[in-house]
Amino acid sequence: MHAVIGRLALLALLSAAPAAHGQDRGRDSVRDSVRDSVRDSVRDSAGVSTRAAAAAAAIPIAIDQQMAEDAGLRIGDHVALASEPGAVGDSAVIVAITTQAADPSEVARREYRIRLHLADLQTRVGYGDRVDRFAIATRRPADDTGVIRRVDDAAFGFRAWPSADIAVRTSQTFRVVSRFHRAIGGITIVASAIFLLCILLLKVEERRRDVAALRLMGISRRSVVTSVVLEAGLIALVGSALGTIVGWIGSLVINWHYRGVYRTPLAFSIVTPGIVALAVGLSLVLGLGAGLIAALRLVRVPPLTLLGR
Amino acid sequence: MRLTLAAASIVRAPLRSALAIAGVAVAAALLLDMVMLSSGMRESFRTMLLVRGFQLRIAPKGTLPFDSEATIGDASAIVDALRQNRDIIAISPVLGAQVHLLAARSGADVTSFALGVDGAVEGDYELEAGTQVGGTDRAVANAAFLAASGARIGDTLDVVAGFDPQLRSYTGRRHLVLAGRARFYYTAARQAVLALPLATLQAMAGSSRRDRVSLFMARVRDGVEPDRVRDWVDRAVPRVSALSVSSALKQVDARMGYFRQLAFILGGISLAVGFLLVTTLVTVSVNERIGEIAVMRAIGVSRAHVVRQIVVEGLALTVAGTILGLAIGIVTARVLNSILGDFPGLPASFSFFVFRARAAWASLGLLVAAGVLAGIYPAWRAASLPIAATLRREAVA
Repeated sequence: MHAVIGRLALLALLSAAPAAHGQDRGRDSVRDSVRDSVRDSVRDSAGVSTRAAAAAAAIPIAIDQQMAEDAGLRIGDHVALASEPGAVGDSAVIVAITTQAADPSEVARREYRIRLHLADLQTRVGYGDRVDRFAIATRRPADDTGVIRRVDDAAFGFRAWPSADIAVRTSQTFRVVSRFHRAIGGITIVASAIFLLCILLLKVEERRRDVAALRLMGISRRSVVTSVVLEAGLIALVGSALGTIVGWIGSLVINWHYRGVYRTPLAFSIVTPGIVALAVGLSLVLGLGAGLIAALRLVRVPPLTLLGR
Repeated sequence: MRLTLAAASIVRAPLRSALAIAGVAVAAALLLDMVMLSSGMRESFRTMLLVRGFQLRIAPKGTLPFDSEATIGDASAIVDALRQNRDIIAISPVLGAQVHLLAARSGADVTSFALGVDGAVEGDYELEAGTQVGGTDRAVANAAFLAASGARIGDTLDVVAGFDPQLRSYTGRRHLVLAGRARFYYTAARQAVLALPLATLQAMAGSSRRDRVSLFMARVRDGVEPDRVRDWVDRAVPRVSALSVSSALKQVDARMGYFRQLAFILGGISLAVGFLLVTTLVTVSVNERIGEIAVMRAIGVSRAHVVRQIVVEGLALTVAGTILGLAIGIVTARVLNSILGDFPGLPASFSFFVFRARAAWASLGLLVAAGVLAGIYPAWRAASLPIAATLRREAVA
């Protein structure tokens, strides 16, 4: 239980304090938690009002599922909550267990979250009558700019942001990861394109004797080229279909693995129609191109030479 | 002789060989990048942590340094406690906070991250020009701060810690002298940073930061195991968590494990692609020359000679592709590093891809091994040909 107390103390501290030292991401996520702590704890504690009432003087708190699992805590359990490690703290009762939202910004942080009423948190961390931020809903979104200007002009030290801007700022990490994935994807596409081109060229080259026989039988160059190109296209299409199935299975494995590692419902890999279309289209174009190049090379060579005579 | 034959075989189908070399080159480039990525983050992080020789970080209990705004109270008592251990030879207390520079030369107020430090220790930065943080009012700033504010060394800065909306007045207002320019190791690349005396920043931040710090950095005597001192700190000061370089690297592994796993997966795929490509090409090449090989065997060329020649052919394709690929890999690593360098909050001195000769040798070795393995199957097939039957079949064909 001491470990739990220590951890709770830390969490209260984390929830209370926005990050510094250039950790914009951390600051934003912690501020989110402060806001959420107000909203969610009100909602959650209302849902279990009977238990909360029974808990009398204990502070009602909500903990996340990960913490409940790791510490073996359940609704109704009492814990001590302090803002400093080692301090005696106050009695708190768990009135709700929350599930982690599918928020990419929290994936790597692996933090526990507890939520409590704003006043309870302010009291315990000596925050006074202060908050990290307010969330404001406007009647008409079109008025947002005017509202922001009025808030900014109100006093030094305040800064209003549209939610969309905050979303852009806080998603910077994921945009970077996305760009990195695209760059890696580009390299793998080049590698697989060369591989595909090579295999299809070889496949067509293997048909040199068949092509020679067809030409000697009087089949036109055009018909030979068409048949070779169609064959290459068909191979590329069947290969793409198999590749799509392998990719889809791979995606399921990736999601299963990382959901377990990070304990999140997030989807890490998604096979979209656009991605399938890109993969199939690319392999089809490469297949047809390789078939065409190889077929044109073959039909230019005299049939007897193709036969090795 | 074998090399000449292998070269002749490669030159016989130039388009095919060029494609094979290009394929191996891309696979080698990706493999090198992934080997650099898998070890680069750890290397870079280790270098960054040890840049000033501080092997221990001491943060509020349960947190990582500057991972939250949590601070450590009674800092001077902790410094006294740490000094009891003779293995600790230097302690650098650091407090992080936000400050605002009023009426900057640039015309606008500048919001900056501030570090309260002990100027005598200089643990967070390297002085590039001017003089150290010192006294009660001498501060140093980084280039981003100077650019945003237009301030110059020698200027007096009007700095505040906040604003009280009820009293409509600034809080923690101080006039600081900009004494120097510094390069900060642990702050974000483009972040404006101002370092000032610890006591001054604590006083500016008010009662909530009195005798508090965000972390301590501690330097351990040479020859002493930092992990042993870390364990001592954890026991002696239960309110804090001590982190040695090795335990910090474990945290990095846990948080950045995704990139290492990605590196292993893509590195494995690169190897597989290179292996399959060379195997396929050499197999097809052997199939096309089956008559030639049968003739060589018929005139007395040994099985071992045929095997060696075919393995050399696969190896030549692999080595040519790998050398080209290593050059491409260094270029692509720079591009990928610049992409990941845009991570918010990432220190400028941190790199995801760190080139080490060991990484290049590892990539080359892996691909050469794959090239040798790729040649073994077609070589075995060629060496085990029934000579008479093959010659008859080829003659009939």
